[in-house]
Amino acid sequence: MNPTIELNGLEVQLGGRTILHGLTGVLKSRAIGLLGPNGAGKSTLINTLLGFHSPSKGSARVLGLDSHTNGKALRSLVGYMPENDAFISKMSGVRFVRYMAEISGLPSAQAMERAHEAFVYVGLGEARYRPVGTYSLGMKQLVKLAQAIAHGPKVLILDEPTNGLDPPARKRLIELIREIREASDICLLLSSHLLRDVEETCDEVLILRNGQIASISNLVEERRANRKFLELETMGAEATFTSTLEGLGCECAVFTNGRIKVVMPDGVEIRAVFKVAADKGVQIRRMNHRRDSLEDIFLNAMEQTGAADGRI
Amino acid sequence: MAVYKRRYTPYTGSLTPERSRFFVLTRFAFVDLFKSRFFVLLLILSLVPSLFFAGYIFIANNKAVQLLLPTGPADMFSVEARFFTFIMIVQTQAAFLLNCWVGPILIAGDLTNGALPLFLSRPFSRADYVLGKLAVMGLLLSGVTWVPSLLLFSLQAGLARGHWLWSHMWMVVPILLCSAIWILMLSLISLAVSAWVKLRIVATGVIFISFFIPAGLGEMFNAIMGTIWGRLLNFSYLFQIILARGFREPSSLLGTTGWNEIPVPAAWGALLFVCLLSLVILNARLRARETVRG
Repeated sequence: MNPTIELNGLEVQLGGRTILHGLTGVLKSRAIGLLGPNGAGKSTLINTLLGFHSPSKGSARVLGLDSHTNGKALRSLVGYMPENDAFISKMSGVRFVRYMAEISGLPSAQAMERAHEAFVYVGLGEARYRPVGTYSLGMKQLVKLAQAIAHGPKVLILDEPTNGLDPPARKRLIELIREIREASDICLLLSSHLLRDVEETCDEVLILRNGQIASISNLVEERRANRKFLELETMGAEATFTSTLEGLGCECAVFTNGRIKVVMPDGVEIRAVFKVAADKGVQIRRMNHRRDSLEDIFLNAMEQTGAADGRI
Repeated sequence: MAVYKRRYTPYTGSLTPERSRFFVLTRFAFVDLFKSRFFVLLLILSLVPSLFFAGYIFIANNKAVQLLLPTGPADMFSVEARFFTFIMIVQTQAAFLLNCWVGPILIAGDLTNGALPLFLSRPFSRADYVLGKLAVMGLLLSGVTWVPSLLLFSLQAGLARGHWLWSHMWMVVPILLCSAIWILMLSLISLAVSAWVKLRIVATGVIFISFFIPAGLGEMFNAIMGTIWGRLLNFSYLFQIILARGFREPSSLLGTTGWNEIPVPAAWGALLFVCLLSLVILNARLRARETVRG
């Protein structure tokens, strides 16, 4: 099976400046997050994948299709929700989505049907006959999502989908994106400034900084690894407790005030820790899984590629 | 993704052929156009002269009706090349007015709120986009130029009978060729203006200006330099030169004589250059993403 996105020394120059510097990487997950400070090159990368910009060196492939040489074939698989306003203000919402679906190749009747379905699906069913120009910001975001999914794409590219939304609207949009992802075999590429958006919807993250790849991280594996890392606050015989845990194959580090960090091997469940504590008469007063959140991954990536300048 | 299920499902149905998808733009544009009463009125008005021309042809071929006229039968009712030249001049001017109303909104509406990336993120090229918009103008302006002209030609051929059709068949070529260059030039100019000017009223003004200001400047150039080449900036004049020559009419029809007339190849060249320039302007503007140089 082809990787979702494959970058081979991708370099993009715009207006005489190099924006993307030889990006190389393979992203295999179905839901990929694109993170980076302002000016990192996220939108340029999306535009290059869509064939809006030509690479000056290297190549980018989406589902095995080269963005430059197979641009049209690639775009026939894509649903794109741009960051900025993108609508025709005098058209009614449903007609606008139908229009876009027809341009994607749906016959007129099917396009109309899918436009209605997409509108109801994103929760704008009641407003579908109003001109798009009269919609609120949140509604416009939903219309952009509706036009991106109406033709049933295989790859959904969302550029800052929650920009300008209030918390309930953001929550609703994130739920929709997760639903779309789970209801089909659609691949998702989501660019966002909000780490939570990416954390809640994506399996893999590509972090860009100054047009270079700062990190590619598989969030599923990170989460799985985190589940094996425990932070305990204990009271009682720490030494015998830790030595017994080490006998089970755990790695332990003891700190002051009864704080212990434990890395559990495969096959050892948390229940075993409680059992050892009970046998040794040790009280476990607090237990946390390590929560190495996406924010940590992001900040680490920023520090590794140079001093973080605080712009996110 | 049925409405009542409220669930996302991929589309698995058939797709339309890629080569004909540009016509979606044309169809939607026509639906929008016919919602405007002013447009419908303008379209009807631009076809009214053809009705008068049809009446003229009917009278010219009907001796009984001519006898009823106060002047009686006369040779004044002549349907020859000069008559069709006149029809073309009137209808192409009507096409110009229609173009000034319709052209400015075709692209501006998509650019105002950044809809262009939505078109171009689909299997739809910039050429398809321009072709779709050009087809709107092409169909519309055809409907008021060569289509009524050919219908009038057919009417005359039908009423005149005899050898009229065969002896005048050559006129079909100038009708089609002259209409084609005029439609192409008007369409491309108005699309180029529409791509740069968002306000309709301003865009309409710019289209008018693009015809009259260069013509005025050209005449100033002629007066100062004592030449005729300034007329290359007068697009209407260039078109009429091509039209008159196409219909084998003398220059005097245009108020010029042979010595102070722009050669026909130069007139063709100038109009084609304007088309090319408009395409370059369109190409510069129709981008999914703008690149800031620096």
